[in-house]
Amino acid sequence: MLAVVITLAVVVGLLGVLVTGLLRSHADIVRALHGLGAGVGDPAAAPRAGPGGVGVGVELRLPAERSAGVHDLEGTTPAGDPVVVSVTAGPRTLLAFLSAGCSSCAPLWDALGDPAERGLLPPGTRVVAVTKGPEWESAGAVASRAPAGVEVVMTTAAWADYEVPGSPYVVLVDGRRGVRLGEGVGRGLGEIAGLIERAAADDGPPGASRGAPAALGLDGPAREAHNDAVLRAAGVHPGDPSLYPRTLDDVLAHPER
Amino acid sequence: MAHLQGRGIAVELPPGFEGRILQRAPVGGGIPQPVVHLATFALPPGTADFGGGATPLMGPDDVFVVLFEFGAESVGRELFRAQGLPRSVRPSELSPFRLRRGIDGQAGGQWFFTEAGRPFTLYVVVGSFAARARLAARVGELLAGVRVEARAA
Repeated sequence: MLAVVITLAVVVGLLGVLVTGLLRSHADIVRALHGLGAGVGDPAAAPRAGPGGVGVGVELRLPAERSAGVHDLEGTTPAGDPVVVSVTAGPRTLLAFLSAGCSSCAPLWDALGDPAERGLLPPGTRVVAVTKGPEWESAGAVASRAPAGVEVVMTTAAWADYEVPGSPYVVLVDGRRGVRLGEGVGRGLGEIAGLIERAAADDGPPGASRGAPAALGLDGPAREAHNDAVLRAAGVHPGDPSLYPRTLDDVLAHPER
Repeated sequence: MAHLQGRGIAVELPPGFEGRILQRAPVGGGIPQPVVHLATFALPPGTADFGGGATPLMGPDDVFVVLFEFGAESVGRELFRAQGLPRSVRPSELSPFRLRRGIDGQAGGQWFFTEAGRPFTLYVVVGSFAARARLAARVGELLAGVRVEARAA
């Protein structure tokens, strides 16, 4: 009898360790997603922020580690027409990366379809909804969500070009300078309008305040060399243990390093 | 360089150009034909075949080009006797009086031709009559990258 009790106690203990490990792993994943700028939970249920805008959990920004490059959109319309949208054809283009089947995207689809909400955006701001291509998205479903008066482009390549981590996601492009002004999880046009106004008020050179190689327009070997120089200046040399994080805690505990 | 292709028409777009190849829904038993819109400015959704809704948005440095295909019954008609898509536009061919809808400062021109056995009209609008020489060169740069395939029998 005693042996059975001890065995059960050991089993319960092992299960406890297992559950704790799973919960910790889940927490690591959630923190990592936060770090990437993705929302958590179902934002569709989030309360509206006020007139003309819906709640937004993450500030729009251009993370230092991401490219500032811009790319034209080559794809099709939901009707199947071939289309190329040039992000440099207008002064500012807001790319809203959305999916027809994503409940988190619903508030932004609705906002884009509401002329009053679109009117919150500064004049001259072009809005383009970008879904993945027909190989991933149902063209019919996208057509049913497509707001009148808004260009909708179905292109999977653009999601890779702009390194979109998930939907909804927005990228604001300065067409005159050919750079991204900001990006992030955005579900309300009110907050996005604020970002655009701040960007318009910023007359400085693009990326000058970001200090990121991507913001400097560097890519490939030049970007790698820039990163090496920054690391050396910070005292991080080849073989430094900080370059080889073994857990997410190693990364998340020192986000500014 | 962005690439636009569909319905037997392909366009290599020079930097700064965008475009679409659309085909309207059939109306009254007619057979809709492809329409190509190419522009250096943001084309609004719902742009009419010959630029209604779009050309008023043009700036003085902008270019708008339409390639409009007609039905096969037009092949061989006198209007489409010229063979081949024009690959360049002379500044003197751009006039404010050739616009479908006159807009202050703009100029345009229109050509009818047959390319690859398909009858088309090319309609060009430039944002500034005064800058037509420079803008005509941009149109030529664009037209150099247009390819039309013959329709399958």
